[in-house]
Amino acid sequence: MIADSLIVDRGVSAGDAWITVAAGDVRQALSALKDAGYRLLVFLTCVDHLADASRNRGGAPEGLGPTGAQGGPPPYKSSRYELVYQLRNLETRDQLRVRAFLDGDPPRVDSTHDLFPPANWDERETYDMFGVVFTGHPDLTRILMPDDWVGHPLRRDYPVGGEAVEFSEEHETWQTAPEKA
Amino acid sequence: MSDTGTVGQGITVTKTGEQGAFGGELLTINFGPHHPSTHGVLRLIVDLDGEQVRRLKPVIGYLHTGIEKQAEALRWQQVVVVTDRHDYLSPPINNLAYALAVEKLLGVEVPPRASALRVIMSELTRIASHLVWLGTSGIELGASTMLMYCFRERDTILDMNEEISGFRMHTSYIRPGGVMADATPRFLEMLDRFIDKMPSNVDEYEALLTMNPIFRSRTIGIGRLPAEDAKVLGATGPMLRGSGVAWDLRKTMPYSGYEKYDFEVATSDLCDCYGRYLVRIKEMREAVKILRQALDRLPDGPVNIDDRKVLPPPREELETSMEAVIHHFKLFTEGYSVPAGDAYVAVESGRGENGCYVVSDGTHKPRRVKFRSASFVNLQPLERMALNHMVADMVAIIGTADTVLGDVDR
Repeated sequence: MIADSLIVDRGVSAGDAWITVAAGDVRQALSALKDAGYRLLVFLTCVDHLADASRNRGGAPEGLGPTGAQGGPPPYKSSRYELVYQLRNLETRDQLRVRAFLDGDPPRVDSTHDLFPPANWDERETYDMFGVVFTGHPDLTRILMPDDWVGHPLRRDYPVGGEAVEFSEEHETWQTAPEKA
Repeated sequence: MSDTGTVGQGITVTKTGEQGAFGGELLTINFGPHHPSTHGVLRLIVDLDGEQVRRLKPVIGYLHTGIEKQAEALRWQQVVVVTDRHDYLSPPINNLAYALAVEKLLGVEVPPRASALRVIMSELTRIASHLVWLGTSGIELGASTMLMYCFRERDTILDMNEEISGFRMHTSYIRPGGVMADATPRFLEMLDRFIDKMPSNVDEYEALLTMNPIFRSRTIGIGRLPAEDAKVLGATGPMLRGSGVAWDLRKTMPYSGYEKYDFEVATSDLCDCYGRYLVRIKEMREAVKILRQALDRLPDGPVNIDDRKVLPPPREELETSMEAVIHHFKLFTEGYSVPAGDAYVAVESGRGENGCYVVSDGTHKPRRVKFRSASFVNLQPLERMALNHMVADMVAIIGTADTVLGDVDR
């Protein structure tokens, strides 16, 4: 199906099969999987493991593997960003999740929009929300947030409620009210 | 060089300087985001040659509400409330995707009566969602009476939502571990009456549209999406089945006991707007068949799993059992923890595959909740479908893609 040399790790999470590939091999691995029958990219997204990545900077804590057993200790993540590609074979109805761990500012990975057309918008969304740069994407612009937005909202260090309130007059009233009282 | 002007509300025009096939210049037209034909707030940047579409770029995000971010700040049981709100025309189906994903991580299975009630709510929602689609698409194509007929039946469904969950639209009825409450006898009566009445109502809709010459000429051969293209572009739901591909998650990857019901997957080989219309009409009829089977075979028993670590104890127990009080207190202060791992569950909504991907780090709040929304993916083939069609046809094409902008932008 896919060369074993590409697979860093494999396993099953809650019944879903998954493999991990190196961030540099994502394009090659997905291309091989597409040829093997996984023709549909169901979704592509990212998970921010900020807490794990900063806690475990010194290396894996003793006894914790890179994935964590079902119901066992939380998975150890040495990288901050985890890209997740959910693939499906429409003939056999098999599903496979491909993971890749990324670091860097901004994190970079090759685009797969030409292999899977739905990836075009998914990659834009992942860029918009997590700041992951997909090299080779034809139009890597923000898709959900306004074009002039600063920051990437789904990163774990982006606070809920941290955005400025649009209507400044009301905002000021609201801010100063407790002091006057 | 380019000069810009405004024609009517929400539409601006810019000259591109590019020569068109009819001797004129290509014009860039901005559609929306506030335009009645876009089913919400969708903005389209269209390059027109005369009245033909040469390029089309959907611009989305006007209804982005940060639901996925919000979910990370809520406890597992609280997230149900935000799942209601992305695809606001099919809340119970969104609840179901989330509940199934969490249950998959927890490793629990709900009792048969809960599964049957989930199927009933899903199918009622599917009908309600198709009715809104049929009514609004009818208006766009000049059949303004359709909305009156469709909303009449939709209101019956909303009444049933109110009866079973206390809420007409955002029901939050399906929750991890089961459903909010058992169906009341009055709900079952209302459902029985609805099932008896609905087939004749669908006949009524068909009498208005199926052989209507204006409707047919506006939809047949418009917005063609061949089966191979639909598969490659990731289209799901009536968009895919309207192109002749019999892919329905209720049949191909069954959940909640759908394999036990006898129904047909509606498909059409027309691959155009009319084909997608036929598919949705057939799906309403099939949904009624499923509802009848579910109601007749509704099993007795509990509607929630018997696990005090996930669901609160019944009210009566709180007065007599100290343990029940402790469980109640823990659940409403800290919530429950879900084993570390990740899970993806896909369910068939009225629009296609509405999936939910959840990642748990073993704590009482999700690390990540991702909604794979059908509308977001189904909107991408829009340019492919609308190319070289008239502007008026583009409106029909947006209509039959049946995207909910809340679901696109989340």
